[in-house]
Amino acid sequence: MNFQHKNLLESGRWFEMNIFEQLANIGVEVGRAINWKNKGNQEYSRLAFERSLELLYFTIEDKKNRDKLGELCRLKEVLGDYFMGENQYKSSAENLNKYFYPFNYAARVISNNELLKSVKSAQKEYQENLVIKANSISDLLER
Amino acid sequence: MFGNFVKVVVDIKKGIMAVDADMHVDLEKLMLENGSEQKDLWGINLYPEFFGTENFIEYDSMINIRPWQNNRSRGVEDENIRKKIVEVVEKLVKNV
Repeated sequence: MNFQHKNLLESGRWFEMNIFEQLANIGVEVGRAINWKNKGNQEYSRLAFERSLELLYFTIEDKKNRDKLGELCRLKEVLGDYFMGENQYKSSAENLNKYFYPFNYAARVISNNELLKSVKSAQKEYQENLVIKANSISDLLER
Repeated sequence: MFGNFVKVVVDIKKGIMAVDADMHVDLEKLMLENGSEQKDLWGINLYPEFFGTENFIEYDSMINIRPWQNNRSRGVEDENIRKKIVEVVEKLVKNV
């Protein structure tokens, strides 16, 4: 298979992302496809649309998303209909972007929470080390 | 039936197909839940009134747009894949 995101697939990086990060990244490509479509550059719009489909294909392949197949498959139908079909679902640039924005937000919140967690864990470790060192010094002084 | 045709998704590797839904993606989902792989699934429409003629099968589905498999349209561009689809359909649809 001739994937554009071959490295992302082979490194397993895509499958390490949670569903919010995956959909946020798909949304970035969809946003690009919309922007180029609005600017009248059909070729660039098509390329971005194809990249979004490819990422969606990986997301459907991802075993942890098995319970989300309905949503993901329907998303493929809607995107195909908007970019290559007759737009029978009456999608618009605005409502497609609106669909993806919350995933960006959720991905950011989660990554911020993870960052906060690791900072707190490092702080705790540092404080515990200080206590150990302090204990060692007081032990020395008592001898 | 969807108007005058039936939507179908064919698994060319397993030689099976899912039939009749509002959207091909619903059939694709069903097939994936039952162990099919995306790369083997192709969407077609069957026109019962044209059974036995070349117009019986129409290759047209959103699930077929897979540039990484050299298929950039809703049709099925590879003749070998079309042949496999025909084989599965002929095996499973005896008459209508």
